[in-house]
Amino acid sequence: MATKATATLPPEAAYRSPNLWLEALRNLRHSPSALLGMTIIGALVVIAIAAPVFATHDPIKTMIGVPGETGRLPSKPPCLPILGCEEPLHILGLDLNARDLYSRIIFGTRTSLSVGVITISLSIIAGTALGVTAGFLGGTVDNVIMRLMDVVLAFPALLLAISIVTILGPGLTNALLGITITFIPQYARLSRASVLSIKEQEFVAAERALGAGPLRIVVAHILPNAITPIIVQGTLGVGTAILDAAALSFLGLGAQPPTPEWGQILSESRNYLFTSPHLVFFPGFAIMVTVLGFNLLGDGMRDALDPRLNRV
Amino acid sequence: MLKFVIRRLTFSIPVLIGILLVTFTLARAIPGDPCLAVLGERATEDICEAFFRRNGLNEPLPVQLLIYMRNIAQGDLGDSLRFHRPVMDLLVERLPTTVELGTFALLFAISVGVPLGVLSAYRHKSAVDVGTMIGANIGVSMPVFWLGLMLAYLFAVLLKDTPFALPPSGRLTPGASPVPFYIVHGMVAEGEEALGILFFLSRINTLNAVLTLNGGLLVDALRHLILPAVAVGTIPLAIIARMSRSSVLEVLNQDYVRTARAKGLRERAVVGRHALKNAMLPVITVIGLNFGLVISGAVLTETIFSLTGVGRTLVDSITSRDYTLVQGFTVVIAAGFVLINMVVDIMYGYLDPRIRFN
Repeated sequence: MATKATATLPPEAAYRSPNLWLEALRNLRHSPSALLGMTIIGALVVIAIAAPVFATHDPIKTMIGVPGETGRLPSKPPCLPILGCEEPLHILGLDLNARDLYSRIIFGTRTSLSVGVITISLSIIAGTALGVTAGFLGGTVDNVIMRLMDVVLAFPALLLAISIVTILGPGLTNALLGITITFIPQYARLSRASVLSIKEQEFVAAERALGAGPLRIVVAHILPNAITPIIVQGTLGVGTAILDAAALSFLGLGAQPPTPEWGQILSESRNYLFTSPHLVFFPGFAIMVTVLGFNLLGDGMRDALDPRLNRV
Repeated sequence: MLKFVIRRLTFSIPVLIGILLVTFTLARAIPGDPCLAVLGERATEDICEAFFRRNGLNEPLPVQLLIYMRNIAQGDLGDSLRFHRPVMDLLVERLPTTVELGTFALLFAISVGVPLGVLSAYRHKSAVDVGTMIGANIGVSMPVFWLGLMLAYLFAVLLKDTPFALPPSGRLTPGASPVPFYIVHGMVAEGEEALGILFFLSRINTLNAVLTLNGGLLVDALRHLILPAVAVGTIPLAIIARMSRSSVLEVLNQDYVRTARAKGLRERAVVGRHALKNAMLPVITVIGLNFGLVISGAVLTETIFSLTGVGRTLVDSITSRDYTLVQGFTVVIAAGFVLINMVVDIMYGYLDPRIRFN
């Protein structure tokens, strides 16, 4: 309805559209950091989806015994015509198992992006459910849930994730679960705070007077009003989750070989830092750029969606 | 103020109990028979029976929990399965490395982060500001372990024969064995065992070097500390710089700053005496929150720079399934984290009366 109304109005009026999301999008367009963040993430999503197109080799195939691959095995520096190297093309060289590093990093995009997004989605769902329940019901339920969240927050995040993965056993799925648990309290606190401030407002009281049940009030009124800070926090969280997952893999607790995962690639070659620095440099650089993308977008979104900041 | 401190203390107690409950549960959720893990695969049923009785493992769970809490209250964290030594001794031996690393990392983060943040707020939208913010964004996105490795490569390989060369591993030059300050000053006779706290303090190399007035040792320890401390401190630095910037920006827009300017105060007084004092409050909280990051960073950095601190010992113990050590170290780190946050909160309440009376 809002779009119909604005369509007939002159442009000046359309600019004052009451739709928060449209306004936020417009703000995002004017934020260089958000634009850069979106560009980086967009490019990474394309790379992740079309990984087989971008990759030059099979990421888990060793080049030993492959015709034409003589004399440069394993762990050789990048081979490009521009560097005066005529041998088979290996953009970033070969890793210690004589696999194409570039293709491994390209496929690693899939792992890292999905770990980041899945972790944060799961913790938003669990955290919001807990926070809304706590805030809406109050009393003992609220106390129990929030004290539990305090306990989770009392552990340094990576340490808690390490402990959880120790029990569940190393592996990408368990690492993902461990990281998810460390993120839940953030979203529980955020959503609880929103619920507490919204549930006392008159429109909720009116809805209740009209006979709406608690579920309807939560889904139709409280959640839409509480979602903005959660989305901002979530975007920033994806970056941190990717860093944590890479750290767990680096410690040997996350993705297991031969899965191409950036932290794992780094971990495999870290003892060869002084002889083959390129094996360490590129996967780490990939992690940094990805996390930077999410941080830039998150920052931009916070500025665009937080009306309090707009006034300053 | 006292009321506020007591309230804050009582608030920490349920969290501390929660930590104990969580670690207790985690330790019992670990798959595998503890008897076989400790005594080896060939332990017979009789031996295991005796083992269970000795360690109270045949008691009902609530009783086990009470035993566990009593032991912890007495400072007994059990014996490490791998080292066959009390976990507490290992902690006293290895925590100093981590404490030293964390302290220098935070010092680096604060001493660079706060001035950078203040400067970029004061010169809002200038080249300094934009540069700092770009740097801060890259800083928070940096994988600690990667940064550590890259620093090691840069300073130990590329700058090898220059005056900037720095050692890529260890706490001191191999072969160096500093004499503890308590022996130098005759507090403890040589050959006698020192008190835990003295031993702990003497293991902090920089402190020991200062206390024994050993300049060479101090330089050596500092040279070994620079790279890991920078690696651990970079993310906190970026966060502190961002926080100081936004906090100073907000304060500079306040009416009382305008008033201070209007009544003709010199700019230095306006910023130094009026703006900074108030702007630093949120920064203190952020510094407190960064302890968690420092510990996570230490876990990764100690592994890279071959420092036998708490972090590296923890990671090694996980791979060798030394559960008592993992459990003991985790409890101590989490409890320390809670205490530090409590101190930060109390400091915050002391500095800002509004918090105290809220």
